[in-house]
Amino acid sequence: MTEQIHTQLLGRDVSLNVSGPWLAYWLVIMRLAVGWWLLHAGLDKFAGWPFDASWFIGGAAAGTSLGPFVTLFSDGILLSFTNVMVPLGQTLIGLGLIVGALTRLAAFFGAFLMTFFYFINGETGGWAHGVITGDLLGLLIFAMIATLGAGRVLGVDAYLVKTSFVKDHPRLRYFIG
Amino acid sequence: MSELTTIERIGLYGGGALLLLGTVGMGLIEILLGAPHPVSGEGQIVHETLFSLSLRSYTILLGLILMATYGIANLATKPPKDTSI
Repeated sequence: MTEQIHTQLLGRDVSLNVSGPWLAYWLVIMRLAVGWWLLHAGLDKFAGWPFDASWFIGGAAAGTSLGPFVTLFSDGILLSFTNVMVPLGQTLIGLGLIVGALTRLAAFFGAFLMTFFYFINGETGGWAHGVITGDLLGLLIFAMIATLGAGRVLGVDAYLVKTSFVKDHPRLRYFIG
Repeated sequence: MSELTTIERIGLYGGGALLLLGTVGMGLIEILLGAPHPVSGEGQIVHETLFSLSLRSYTILLGLILMATYGIANLATKPPKDTSI
């Protein structure tokens, strides 16, 4: 049940053994835990509707390295768009990870979202507890889920990947697990 | 990973290097030579660091952008090799 991996990194041959069952087990645990993290965050915002992100993207973000871009969304129609897309995006990312559907796409947008949280929360807090924060670790876990294509283990992607539509459009493999 | 072009190497290796430089590299130098505790015992933030906090932010941000650019460019230009599953 051990898989042998032979590849190259930085021009060197690299070989390692990976335990298949452990990898499959851990991918599911990680997907469910991280998926619930985002699903809860999204549902929580819908439960307390209306959601207003202006304090974060208009207030906290100003003066951070992402400020010039993020504050563009702090009023008018772009704020309304953000107020819907944050909870909707979090809910869809969470659902995607939990059921393992379009897992890589969900993980990409999870990492995208965490980039904003990481820099804005970190910089407004003066990186008081160092630059490795929960937000950065979340971002790295999303990157890991996308790298490993975790949706094929007990996930909908295991079915999607076998459909003729995906076989006819192989580039879709980048979006699914 | 074994057939990377120069541009892809910049995205993957350069991005990873910048991410690690901003976190581990600057952090280690800060611990050894600078201000390991930018926060006082009372919780007040003291910005007496060797590397400005914005420099660390931008280094990490550039690393993440390079890696994301590699991923998106890869998606746009290459179909996945393994379509057998």
